Amino acid sequence: MTKQPVQQAPSVNFEAMTLKDAIDLAVLIEEEARDRYEELAAQLILHRTPAAANFFTKMVRIEELHRSQLLEQRRKQFGDQPVTVRREMIFDVEAPDYDEARMNMTQRQALEVALRSEQKAHKFFVSVLANVQNPEVRRLFEELCDEELEHQQLVKAEMAKLPPPGPHDHVDVGDGPAPQ
Amino acid sequence: MTAPPLQAKDYKSELKPIWCPGCGDFGVLQGLYRALASIGRPPHEVAFISGIGCSSRIPGYTTAYGFNTVHGRSLPIAQGVKLSNPELLVVVAGGDGDGFSIGGGHVPHAVRRNMDLTYLVMDNQVYGLTKGQLSPTSPKGLETVTSPLGSLEDPINPLLYMLAYGCGFVAQATPADMPGMAALIEDAIRYPGFSFVNIQSPCVTFGEEDQQLKAHKTKLKPLESLGHDPTDQLAAMDLARAYGTELYTGVFYKNPKPPPTYEALVKLRQAEQAKKARPRDRVLDAYLQK
Repeated sequence: MTKQPVQQAPSVNFEAMTLKDAIDLAVLIEEEARDRYEELAAQLILHRTPAAANFFTKMVRIEELHRSQLLEQRRKQFGDQPVTVRREMIFDVEAPDYDEARMNMTQRQALEVALRSEQKAHKFFVSVLANVQNPEVRRLFEELCDEELEHQQLVKAEMAKLPPPGPHDHVDVGDGPAPQ
Repeated sequence: MTAPPLQAKDYKSELKPIWCPGCGDFGVLQGLYRALASIGRPPHEVAFISGIGCSSRIPGYTTAYGFNTVHGRSLPIAQGVKLSNPELLVVVAGGDGDGFSIGGGHVPHAVRRNMDLTYLVMDNQVYGLTKGQLSPTSPKGLETVTSPLGSLEDPINPLLYMLAYGCGFVAQATPADMPGMAALIEDAIRYPGFSFVNIQSPCVTFGEEDQQLKAHKTKLKPLESLGHDPTDQLAAMDLARAYGTELYTGVFYKNPKPPPTYEALVKLRQAEQAKKARPRDRVLDAYLQK
């Protein structure tokens, strides 16, 4: 038997995007970020890195809040109309990259991960806006773009509350090669 | 009513990966879920077969059938699975040590037998699970617990190795390019025959600094951007020689005319033999020289 193509994930066409699809895409972006923070928190709990794990767990709640706000907007404007965009159409828009996590990372390093992720999301919306034609979609993406900037400020404010970084914060203290 | 399309999360099991935070295998797993969702075969039609090692834990992290087998024996077991149920989509996963050292003897035979399997090797150039010994793809000069003064051996070149054995689909990917990697895995699974993807998946704990994903992001070179023709086997071999010095990603070689798979030939043989089969009441004649 040969392998059969059953379905193919479509790519995103920002030029022809409707407002409904744009909101659904934004929901998926928040969902992806929420799930990634959840995964990173689980990794760090397992590897006994509680401060960073707690911060990532907090980020799970924040991303879920953003997602539910967008879902509420979607429900009001489009009710139960079917969702036509898929999670497979996006990759790591606001979700931190997997290689950002480190065993024994500090809370400050965890905040730096969140900051880079917000910057990455802002860059995404800026690049996408260049192709968006629909004025309603433009408005939504401009709002999201501004929100990403606000989030960056919030993360920076949190970082300012932390004690200054220690001299060994950037030393990787994971297991080194050990004779067997 | 038609079933809703499958999503990446449908392939994700409840078991949480215990890889080191920052490990390249997290990205590989995510890319694999997405490739499977795009192909759309439900989890009960998919089987993951692996050997032993960090990356060989993959079957447990999926909702598909899975068999975390013995060290280096994933390919023979996967062939048995495929032969007994050719309808299953069988994906074989493992590391460079499992595939090219302990299981190295099985690779050429799996390639020449050409069953419809996809072999994903998470190549991290080190034995990570056992705390950082030299592996078959470790670069020359690498200092590890088994080579404290630096390795004296040249590494195996997995790409050239598979091409030389006549593999019909050979590609290389890195989790530093997630969309590209997911697309390559999907392409490999869709190829009707034995397909191989070497995934440069760095070991965050024992790997070299210049082999981590951040470094991959700056040095990866998609073969497509070089104008490489993936149907040109000799050009593929020429590019594959740069393994270890250049990080080429994409399809090195894809046979434009895939030959029939082993299981297809077996089916044909069975049909031919069925025509010649004696009636039940004359089966014993074969032993009586009638």
